[in-house]
Amino acid sequence: MGLTSSVISLLIGTPLGILLGSCESRGRSALVVMNRTLMGLPPVVCGLICYMLFSGVGPLRHLRLLYTVRGMVIAQVILITPLIIGNIEAYVSSIASAIRETAVGMGLNPLRIILLIINESQYQILSAYLFGLGRAFAEVGAISMVGGAIAYKTNVMTTAIMNYSNMGNFSLALALGIILLMISLVLNVFATLIFRQLNSHGTK
Amino acid sequence: MTIPVNSFTKTYSRKTVLSFPGFTFHEKHIYAIIGANGSGKSTFARIAAGVLTPDAKASPFSNTDISIGYLPQKPFPFRMSLYRNLMLNGSGSKAVDVSRANHLLEALNLTQLSSANASQLSGGETARMALARLLMKDYRLLILDEPTAAMDIHSTLQAEALLKSYRETAGAAIILITHSLKQALRTADEVLFFREGILMEYGSAEEILVHPKKAETKEFLEFYGM
Repeated sequence: MGLTSSVISLLIGTPLGILLGSCESRGRSALVVMNRTLMGLPPVVCGLICYMLFSGVGPLRHLRLLYTVRGMVIAQVILITPLIIGNIEAYVSSIASAIRETAVGMGLNPLRIILLIINESQYQILSAYLFGLGRAFAEVGAISMVGGAIAYKTNVMTTAIMNYSNMGNFSLALALGIILLMISLVLNVFATLIFRQLNSHGTK
Repeated sequence: MTIPVNSFTKTYSRKTVLSFPGFTFHEKHIYAIIGANGSGKSTFARIAAGVLTPDAKASPFSNTDISIGYLPQKPFPFRMSLYRNLMLNGSGSKAVDVSRANHLLEALNLTQLSSANASQLSGGETARMALARLLMKDYRLLILDEPTAAMDIHSTLQAEALLKSYRETAGAAIILITHSLKQALRTADEVLFFREGILMEYGSAEEILVHPKKAETKEFLEFYGM
């Protein structure tokens, strides 16, 4: 579930982050402030909003998303996407004007300028994805409210850790925590290899 | 062939930083723009290159089909090999581009670095790479904002020789913004002196740098040791 929600967030957040970081329109500052506000959205508030939308009296009740994995993914996407947008926007805004000035000077068209910005942002996109994935793995509040932590259905590792801790079964909770950390370690090692690959590719 | 630039102004926060009266540049000529910091040289370059819009929001060129190449003060080295950086600005014909890239790498002593990651080059190497990258195409007007500021004297002389050769082969008018009066004297056919956003005086390199008419130009040259 964490992988799905982080990939969806990456697909939504990357173009928006690049667009927001590279545009020079007057409304940009307002959009940046709005996104930074959403970056600080408390998971329980996100969970509460999703719960109200998906519940039997909510406007999206006909989608039957409450206590489903799909509903949990949506809640996580709402939480993670602003983080990915914010990370990418911050980096792109620091390089976009220099890239644009150089590329316009060479007579390159806007599409090639965007492609160059994406090329320069490869590390940051991957780094933002890892950040989002980490947030997805660590998230409890929103998914427990939307998913309900139903055994064999919507109970994920973090909600299981919380439940086992509440029941006093700390050894099992700790074991799950260690597994979660190991998964994070494997993913980060994998990401480091991709970073190296990107770096060597850059010189060819 | 001539390249006329219409008059324009640029204002920031109600302060006019540049009031350009218009000027006609000639092909196969090198023009040096000199002046102190904040005199409007780079603002002129950025507006002429289309990076910045003047107050009137319209291009200062009557003929907007002119191909303009512009090298900013801090050119961006794209995170790829130096050779691929050059190819980014290719004409589209691979054989022509390869031949031209090899010639430029040789002329600027960059051949050994062609496979190096451009984002990891030193300041002087980046400056040479950026100049070579821009010269991959033939422009009618080439605007260079302090292209040799980060280069040593040997590389500077190589770059100047390359620009003189480009002027002839591409038939371009070259505008060279520089703080080096010696460089202006070595390379320029004509010199334009900017002061506080105004084009104070222009003429042949010797007229401006050796026998200036205006007191402001004399004062500037004395201050810079000419």
